[in-house]
Amino acid sequence: MTDEQTLRVVIVDDEPLARAVIVEYLQAHPGVEVVAECGNGFEAVKAVTELSPHLMFLDVQMPKLDGFEVLELLGRSIPVVFTTAYDQYALRAFEVHAVDYLLKPFDEARFGEALARARARISVEEPVPVDELIADARPRQGAVERVLIRDGSQVHVLPVDRIDYVEAQDDYVCFKADGREYLKDQTMAAVEASLDPQRFVRIHRSYLLNIDRIARVELYAKDSRVAILRDNRRLPVSRAGYARLAKLL
Amino acid sequence: MHPILARGERFALYLALWTIGGALLAALLASEGGLSLGAAAAVAFPLAIAYAFVCFSAWYVSRSTPIATSGLGRLVTTSLGASLLTSAAWLLLARGWTTMLDRVWRISVPFERIAAVLFGFGLLLYLLSLAVSYIIAAFEQARDAERRQLQAQVLSREAELRTLRAQIDPHFLFNSLHSISALTGVDPAGARRMTVQLGDFLRESLALGSAERIPLARELALAAKYLEVERVRLGDRLQVSIVEADAGDCLVPPLVLQPIVENAVTHGVAHVLAGGLVAVTASCTPEWLKLIIENPADPDRPRRTGTGLGLANVRARLQAVFGDTASIHWAEQDGTWRVEVSLPADRSPGPRG
Repeated sequence: MTDEQTLRVVIVDDEPLARAVIVEYLQAHPGVEVVAECGNGFEAVKAVTELSPHLMFLDVQMPKLDGFEVLELLGRSIPVVFTTAYDQYALRAFEVHAVDYLLKPFDEARFGEALARARARISVEEPVPVDELIADARPRQGAVERVLIRDGSQVHVLPVDRIDYVEAQDDYVCFKADGREYLKDQTMAAVEASLDPQRFVRIHRSYLLNIDRIARVELYAKDSRVAILRDNRRLPVSRAGYARLAKLL
Repeated sequence: MHPILARGERFALYLALWTIGGALLAALLASEGGLSLGAAAAVAFPLAIAYAFVCFSAWYVSRSTPIATSGLGRLVTTSLGASLLTSAAWLLLARGWTTMLDRVWRISVPFERIAAVLFGFGLLLYLLSLAVSYIIAAFEQARDAERRQLQAQVLSREAELRTLRAQIDPHFLFNSLHSISALTGVDPAGARRMTVQLGDFLRESLALGSAERIPLARELALAAKYLEVERVRLGDRLQVSIVEADAGDCLVPPLVLQPIVENAVTHGVAHVLAGGLVAVTASCTPEWLKLIIENPADPDRPRRTGTGLGLANVRARLQAVFGDTASIHWAEQDGTWRVEVSLPADRSPGPRG
C-alpha cells in the first residue's frame, strides 16, 4: 500500500469499552478507517474474510474463540496488534509474528507507536504465512481439545471427543463428527500431530480413528483387517496401523 | 524415647547425680547402720547406679497417668504403688548384693540393720524421679503447644494471603482500569462512578480478609459490588440476580462466596457469546446455610480449564474451618454451571474475632 491509501482496520474485542478506546485513539490518526468492530472471534473471521482489511487489533481472551485461534482460522497473515491484560501471552504473540502487543490499559502514545510499527510493516514486508508459525508453536501446548474449521466466513468449533474419525481427501482432510463432514485445508500428518496420540490412532494411511468409536477389529483377508465402528461403519486397517492399534488397546 | 536417654550429655548428668545419691546413701548407711565407710561405699554405689536404671521406669509411669486426665486419687495410688513395688524389688537386689559381698569379698554387712534405710531411700528417690518426670512432661507439653500454635498461626496467615491474592486478580484490575480509561473519553461521569465502585470493592475485600467471621449480608454486598464492576466491562452480556431469604445475619468465613462468583463470571459468562445470568441464592434453615451460585457455561470448553483454582481453594478453606460439616459441590448440566455450598448455620450475635 502507499501512503495515500486509507489504512483499513478491524477492531476485535468482546468488551465494547475496549473497542471504544481504540476507536477514540484512531481519531487522531488521519488516513485510517475502521471497517468493522467485532465482539467475538466468529465475527472477526467473517469480517477479515469479507473485507480484507490491512490491520487487525485483536483481543486475546474472548468467548469461544480466542485471538490465537482467530489467527489460526484465517490461515494467512494479516498484520495483527494484540491487545490484552495478560502479559504471559506476549511470548506467543511474538511466535505468531504479531506486529506488536498492547498491554491494557495503554495510553495514546503507546498506541501510536504500535500503529506506526504496523504501517512500517505493511509498507515493506511480505506477509508471513501464519499457519506454519502457529503449527510451530503448537507442540509445546500439548494436544488440542477442539478442532477449528473455517467454512468460508463461517467457523465450526469441533470438540475432539465428538470426532469419529478423520479421512484424508486429496489436499484436504475430512473430519467426521455428529453424522456430518467438515473439510479442512490441512495435512493428515499435521492433524495427527495435533491430536492426543492416546485417543487417535492412524489405522491407515488415509484414516485417523478415535479409539472410543471402535466396536471390534476383524481379519478380512490375509494381512488386512477392518475396524468396525459402533455405528457399523467399516474402515480399512493397514498392517502398521494394526500394530499401532494393538499397542494402545 | 525417654527424654534422658535421647541425648548423651543428659544421660551423663543423670548418672553423675546418681553417684552423688550413692555418696549420700553411703553416708546414711555408715551413720544409721553402723557400717564401716568402706563397706558402706561397697554397698551404696553399685546399688545406686543400678537404681538409676530402675528409675527410668518412672517416666513411663508418669506417661501412663498424665496429671491432666487422671484424678488425684489415681495419681497418688499409682505413684505410691509404683514406688513401693520398685523399692521392694531394689531391696531384694540389695539383699543379693550384700550376700555376694560377704561370700566373694568377705565383706560382712548386717542386712537387717540397713534394710529400713535402704527401703526408705528407694521409696523417696523413686517418688522424686516421678516428680521430675512430671515436670519434664509438663515442659515438653508446653513447648509442643507453643509450636502447634505457631504453626496454626502461620497456616492461617498463609490462607489469608492466598485468598487476598486470589481475591484481587491483577487481570481484573487491569481490565477494569482499561474500562475506566475508555469511559474517560465517552462518559466521564461513568468513569468516576466506576472508579468509586472499584475503590469500594477493593477496600471492602481487604477489610473482610482480616475478619474471622462476617455476616453473610456483607459477603453478598461485596459480591454485588464486584458484579457491578464487571457489568461495566461486559455490558449487557452480564445479568445479575442476588436473592437472600432470612440468611443475611448468618456468620460465614470471609471471602467464601466471592471466589465462586468471580469464577461464575471469568470461567462462565465471559466465555458464552450471548452472556447470561449469574444467580446467587442464599437460604437458611435452623441448622444449615445454603448458597447456590448458577451461571451459563460453554459446554464446548475443555473441562480442566472450567473450574479454575478458585473452587478448590474455597473447598480447602471450608475444610480447614469446618472439617467435614461443610460441603461444596459443583456440576454442569445442560449448559448451566451450578455450585452449591452448605455450611452449619451460625447466628450467634456479633461477629467473632
